[in-house]
Amino acid sequence: MLTRLSRFGPVLPRLLCNPPARFVSQSKATGAAGSAAVTELHPAAETAGHAEVSPYVKNPDYHGFSSDPVVDEWNMRLGFFFGISVALVIGGTFIHYLPDHGMRQWARREAEHLIKQREMEGLPLIDENYYDPNKIVLPTAEEN
Amino acid sequence: MLKLLIPTLMLIPTTWATPKKWLWPTTLAHSLIIALISLSWLKNMSETGWSYLNSYMATDSLSTPLLVLTCWLLPLMILASQNHTAHEPINRQRTYITLLISLQFFLILTFTATEILMFYIMFEATLIPTLIIITRWGNQTERLNAGTYFLFYTLAGSLPLLIALLLLQNSAGTLSLLTLQYATHPQLLTYADKLWWAGCLLAFMVKMPLYGVHLWLPKAHVEAPIAGSMVLAAVLLKLGGYGMMRMMPMLEPLTKELSYPFIILALWGVIMTGSICLRQADLKALIAYSSVSHMGLVVGGILVQTPWGFTGALILMIAHGLTSSALFCLANTNYERTHNRTMILARGLQMILPLMTTWWFIASLANLAFPPLPNLMGELIIITSLFNWSWWTLALTGAGTLITAAYSLHMFLTTQRSTVPTHIIALDPTHSREHLLMALHLLPLILLTLKPELIWGWTA
Repeated sequence: MLTRLSRFGPVLPRLLCNPPARFVSQSKATGAAGSAAVTELHPAAETAGHAEVSPYVKNPDYHGFSSDPVVDEWNMRLGFFFGISVALVIGGTFIHYLPDHGMRQWARREAEHLIKQREMEGLPLIDENYYDPNKIVLPTAEEN
Repeated sequence: MLKLLIPTLMLIPTTWATPKKWLWPTTLAHSLIIALISLSWLKNMSETGWSYLNSYMATDSLSTPLLVLTCWLLPLMILASQNHTAHEPINRQRTYITLLISLQFFLILTFTATEILMFYIMFEATLIPTLIIITRWGNQTERLNAGTYFLFYTLAGSLPLLIALLLLQNSAGTLSLLTLQYATHPQLLTYADKLWWAGCLLAFMVKMPLYGVHLWLPKAHVEAPIAGSMVLAAVLLKLGGYGMMRMMPMLEPLTKELSYPFIILALWGVIMTGSICLRQADLKALIAYSSVSHMGLVVGGILVQTPWGFTGALILMIAHGLTSSALFCLANTNYERTHNRTMILARGLQMILPLMTTWWFIASLANLAFPPLPNLMGELIIITSLFNWSWWTLALTGAGTLITAAYSLHMFLTTQRSTVPTHIIALDPTHSREHLLMALHLLPLILLTLKPELIWGWTA
């Protein structure tokens, strides 16, 4: 869709439809007003060029972060420290020691204790009357 | 909330003020610290469901895992795009990082919003950075076409949602998630009510994407740069599932009968997109179609509306987020070396990059739901709840898992085994950065098997 916008090219002012790089003066700067705009807009060929030259030629310890060996190594250290040591290890420890929400783990442990105890005593795991019927106070017929 | 939102916002000035040399290390470390702080959301002390409540935002056990996933994805995206943007002018790199950060900001607001209208606005706002990332940093001219598809599919789906939400506001008097769950359900009888039901869910089904409205996804994935693919697969698709799960309680009496065709469509989509993967030549398209296939299961799990269905859907969403993002990163490591996505042109990489093969192996296993990874738990729970709904679904889900295993194997064998093509003369060895990236994807996935209740959602 965006490509179709270019059909309006002749209608739009030339400034809008052409890349501004075309308008940079190619002549030598003549005074203080002149600038090195050309070199700034078009970065040096070796950095902007094809990436086929292996970075390992320049830096055998290349870690894949940056072409500058110092930045490369520090970026690697920061990535591994904050990614593995801090986020995964400290974060993992934090999650492991989170409080037992809703006492679910406690309930599980308690149930296992109870099963062991009742099996040792030879009782059924769960009684037919879960609540002792003698303890339930029902309303009498008159109160209904 | 602010403890995460302010650091995320402050990442933007950091990005622009940092010296050129230290731009990537600084943003990486900063975003990893944000990801660490985001874990504190998992400390759920409330007994009412909602925690960290303020007037506009709150988290609950459904949104927290997705929020943590969102915060985890930003450092991974930064790590992944470091290499291919390195040759761009520095201001363009800063703009790129800024877009990724703004995406995280909008996503946090989307997942924490308690007002459905704010959720809607933030849901739409995430479109803008994604669209710019795809159409500006994609690799080929087809990216413009992909951007059009992405924009218009999602917008056409979500404008009915806006109308439906305004109607709901009119009848219920509120759009707050906190109160709507206690509102009395109106009798929904007329055809207009049924249209309203469809309007409420259509936006999310397009975003998921449901089979039939999924065509934007493979295009967007194939054309997007690596960070765009990662966040699209890991978080943006999950917005659809999250939105559906939020809307479900309000649609109560109608869903039971109206969801039938959509469940069938979703399960049929699992088989169809899986079959498409089997004969796919494009590596990124294969991973994209496998996302559609997995999301079909999630839609099915949500639409049957059982607690198990919801739990399975959330588990599968989180697990799939990490897995498919990892697969896209692996595809990108191939792409950066061979400069093409065609699988038969980059065969036999085990001979050249053996350690990368290990990561491919683990990621493929995760994709085909290998025990004990959460992927398997999610799929099993969804399949069980669907089976409980109707026995016949087992034919579709069973065939679906079989096809998933088949295409994962196909992908692994094609890229890693057989002989190296003769045109591959010299490839860079793997970088520490790529191994770190893969470890940061797959270690959390493995760790989640040790504490699965973090992603069980409402039942935990």
